[in-house]
Amino acid sequence: MIEGLFNQPNYLAAKKTLDAVALRQDAINNNLANVETPGYKRVDLAPSFERELEKAAASNDSGQISTLSPSLAVDTTATAASKDGNTVHLEQELMRMNQNALTHNLETQLVGNMLARMRLAITGK
Amino acid sequence: MIQILTGIQNTSAALDAERTRLDVISQNIANAHTTHDVDGKPYQRRVVVFETALQNAMAGDRSTLPAIQVAKIAVDKRPPLKVPDPGNPEADAQGMVAVPNINIHEEMADLISASRTFEANLAVVKNARSMALATLAIGRH
Amino acid sequence: MSPLTAIPAYSAHLLPQVERLPAQDIAELPSTLPAAQPADSNSFSSLLGKLVSDVNAQQQAAGQNVNALQSGQNVPLHQAVISMEEANVSFQLMVEVRNRLLESYQEIMRMQI
Repeated sequence: MIEGLFNQPNYLAAKKTLDAVALRQDAINNNLANVETPGYKRVDLAPSFERELEKAAASNDSGQISTLSPSLAVDTTATAASKDGNTVHLEQELMRMNQNALTHNLETQLVGNMLARMRLAITGK
Repeated sequence: MIQILTGIQNTSAALDAERTRLDVISQNIANAHTTHDVDGKPYQRRVVVFETALQNAMAGDRSTLPAIQVAKIAVDKRPPLKVPDPGNPEADAQGMVAVPNINIHEEMADLISASRTFEANLAVVKNARSMALATLAIGRH
Repeated sequence: MSPLTAIPAYSAHLLPQVERLPAQDIAELPSTLPAAQPADSNSFSSLLGKLVSDVNAQQQAAGQNVNALQSGQNVPLHQAVISMEEANVSFQLMVEVRNRLLESYQEIMRMQI
């Protein structure tokens, strides 16, 4: 009975996106911490994971969504920002941080709303 | 002890490193005209050298991304400049005084860059805190 | 017809008993309610038992997550918070099911024979 309650595809997708957002925030934090490190290459969510997440969300299949596992990878599309090979562009990274923070806000609200709806359905309050 | 803000260990390392750099730059600027340092010679510009420190992986750590640290505060080997100043007590036989080879514009540019990086990492900490607060509000009804 | 007949479990298990009531002593009524039907795996009581153990498992998982967080392990904060909330919602579900059952039972007890 309980599995059915929490196994809705859109709830699982929201939780998985939240996992990804948190991991991405780690990556951005590290990129900004290393903006002056010689030779540092910026990291981000693995592009393969983003594609898989989109596909799984569109497929509406709970099993497919729950087996996804977000991971970080070195960003191969990044260009050098300084002579020592560091690929972190400060302004771009700050933009990404803002963007990610807003996405995080959205996802936490989504998950919170879904839980509130479940509570409403159960208790009527 | 409980770790609410995970993922910002390297940020504090970066803040430390940039702080050191800012200190060194202000020391350079303050000593731009010091012709007589403790060793009797003009002040030599100091440079901060950064390196990567692989973070000690904690058990269950989700990432082992590199942290920045100050390798050493090196001495800039460029020789002091010779400036004509016959009235100066330090002047040699030709009336030239050896002054530190510090370009104020270079130091200011470094200062701005170090400040920007410092501010960026402060913004990271602030952001991490607001994200954690938003997360804790998930269940609030 | 009593509105309770809309509940399949009631029609299947309780209604036959109710229809036989006039021939039986009222004091015996509670003992004729089906206590356990182990042979039928889809029976209401086994569903209830599964609900209780699922809720318990979820509470324990949430407790473990929170403990790991408190002991300094690198557990993502949102994971701990969400598992706590899910455990709360499941617990509320169980409490509501219990309340409804209790109401139905009391409704039956109030019936005039």
